[in-house]
Amino acid sequence: MARFRAAYGAGPLHLLGVVICLAVVGYALSTGLSLTGRPERWLIWFGGGIVAHDFLLLPFYSLLGLFAVAALAPGARRTRTGIAALNHLRFPALLSGLLLLVWYPLILGPGERTFSRVSGLSKDVYLERWLILTASLFALSAVVLLIRLPRLRRIDDHGGR
Amino acid sequence: MHSRLRIGPFRPGFWRSPLRGPWLASILSAALLPLLAVCALTGFVSHWAYDTDLGANAVFGGPGPGNGFDLYGLDWPTSPSWLYAATQGLHVVTGIAAIPILLAKLWTVVPKLFEVPPVRSPAHALERLSLIFLVGGAIFVIGTGVINIQVWYPFGFGFVPAHYYGAIVMVAALALHVVLKLPVLRDALRRDGIRDRLHEDLAHTRPEPELPGRHTSAPHASSAPTLTRRALLGGVGVASAGLAAMTAGQVAGGPFADLALLAPRGRGRGPGPNDFPVNKTFAASGIERGQLGADWRLALQRDDRVVARLSRDELLGLPQTSAELPIACVEGWSTTQLWTGVRLRDLARLIGVAPGGAMEARSMQSGGGFRRATLNPGQVEHPDSLLALSVNGAELSLDHGYPARVIGPALPGVHCTKWVGKLVFS
Repeated sequence: MARFRAAYGAGPLHLLGVVICLAVVGYALSTGLSLTGRPERWLIWFGGGIVAHDFLLLPFYSLLGLFAVAALAPGARRTRTGIAALNHLRFPALLSGLLLLVWYPLILGPGERTFSRVSGLSKDVYLERWLILTASLFALSAVVLLIRLPRLRRIDDHGGR
Repeated sequence: MHSRLRIGPFRPGFWRSPLRGPWLASILSAALLPLLAVCALTGFVSHWAYDTDLGANAVFGGPGPGNGFDLYGLDWPTSPSWLYAATQGLHVVTGIAAIPILLAKLWTVVPKLFEVPPVRSPAHALERLSLIFLVGGAIFVIGTGVINIQVWYPFGFGFVPAHYYGAIVMVAALALHVVLKLPVLRDALRRDGIRDRLHEDLAHTRPEPELPGRHTSAPHASSAPTLTRRALLGGVGVASAGLAAMTAGQVAGGPFADLALLAPRGRGRGPGPNDFPVNKTFAASGIERGQLGADWRLALQRDDRVVARLSRDELLGLPQTSAELPIACVEGWSTTQLWTGVRLRDLARLIGVAPGGAMEARSMQSGGGFRRATLNPGQVEHPDSLLALSVNGAELSLDHGYPARVIGPALPGVHCTKWVGKLVFS
């Protein structure tokens, strides 16, 4: 058993679990592929999802975040007011971006023809609604920041926490 | 040994957020797991609701292994009437609510994608392989689902089998992940508790220490915090609850409908009796208007023979029944209306068919999916299962299936056949 652990890196139950998992994965992928054909499209949507998230979306919003930190709360001169301003920008921006990510086919309109044909509705309203929601989120965040501002200023001026 | 890999994101000090670590990952996982579990379960329930062993109901195009799991052997029930609206609403709402938590979780553990050495042992290699199926599967299933409910089909493969078998990939990888990571979650929560970290203010927000003997996403060197863990989790929670509320608006209706600002089917077309949403308009059915005129007849078939043809007026002359029933779409929206028409079981008795058989409804459509659907014996015999001729006191509109459509309690929307031309009893 100790030799197995040393060679494999975990106990035999780990191996059993992995084998069961990969067997089910193999069954599901082969059945799904045999039904739909077009494995290249599966690769695009399966692998593409990982690449799009790990190497595009996450680096993109992380970089935006770094720029915002550098502009509003740079490490050398970091104040509570600056940190609060940063977060009151980050939250509405992330929420608005999330809404766009989830509903972009409605908001930006790909598939408009099928959508109106089958639903009898148009996608026209969604861009406007998203913009209004985005504006409202930023406005709400700004109002809350304004209310918090005097207290944050006092903390910064008195060098307290 | 691995020094040439220690550049960019592979460098130990590259990921600098003080918030990342096993505690944060565990809290997010504890929130994510129930949502994904309900989402997966209701998804498989939806497959059950299609009664794929009956007639041409098999959604994947044929009997055999291509039919998905058919372990149930049970007919889909008719009670409560909102059952399918509830399970399918839950499916879509939980799937969408999981998105912000999944994104936060992936953000928390991203340093592990670049861990050095990339492979420590055969066990580690296999585990990382399974993570490809976990992350890829989750993005694939949720992504295709979210795009599909927005009536956009850019996939290049059939959505239903891909979404179904993609879900099995995700569930298998998720089950393994839960089993393997449960000890990490236990250790992290035992070490830190839950509430203590939620009470930390900015000055007390410090990096998590490593868990002894485990490789985690806690940073090697970190910047000063600009956010507390409480605020991060609060933001994720608000995002998740907000998305859920906005999507639930197209299931729950009533005052919630006004919240469904970005939901695809959250709006009707006006205040009229026929203005509630449709899955498929008459224009998209491919049926000629002339086919539904005065010459239209409902054919009633027993076994292989058409034994009666009824005009709409003759149908209106039969005893009429009204039932308030939701019609629930697989896309997760539903709407409850008052339907009036002839009981399906009355039509069966009319041509001498005894209770206990199934019934296939065939639409006048000449192409497209779901132009016929087989109802199980329980659905056929239910007193609220109707061949509806009117809705909310008005004649059915063309978009809602004029001259006649099937409606029944807990019946999946795509089985509520519209523009019915023939009912086949067996």
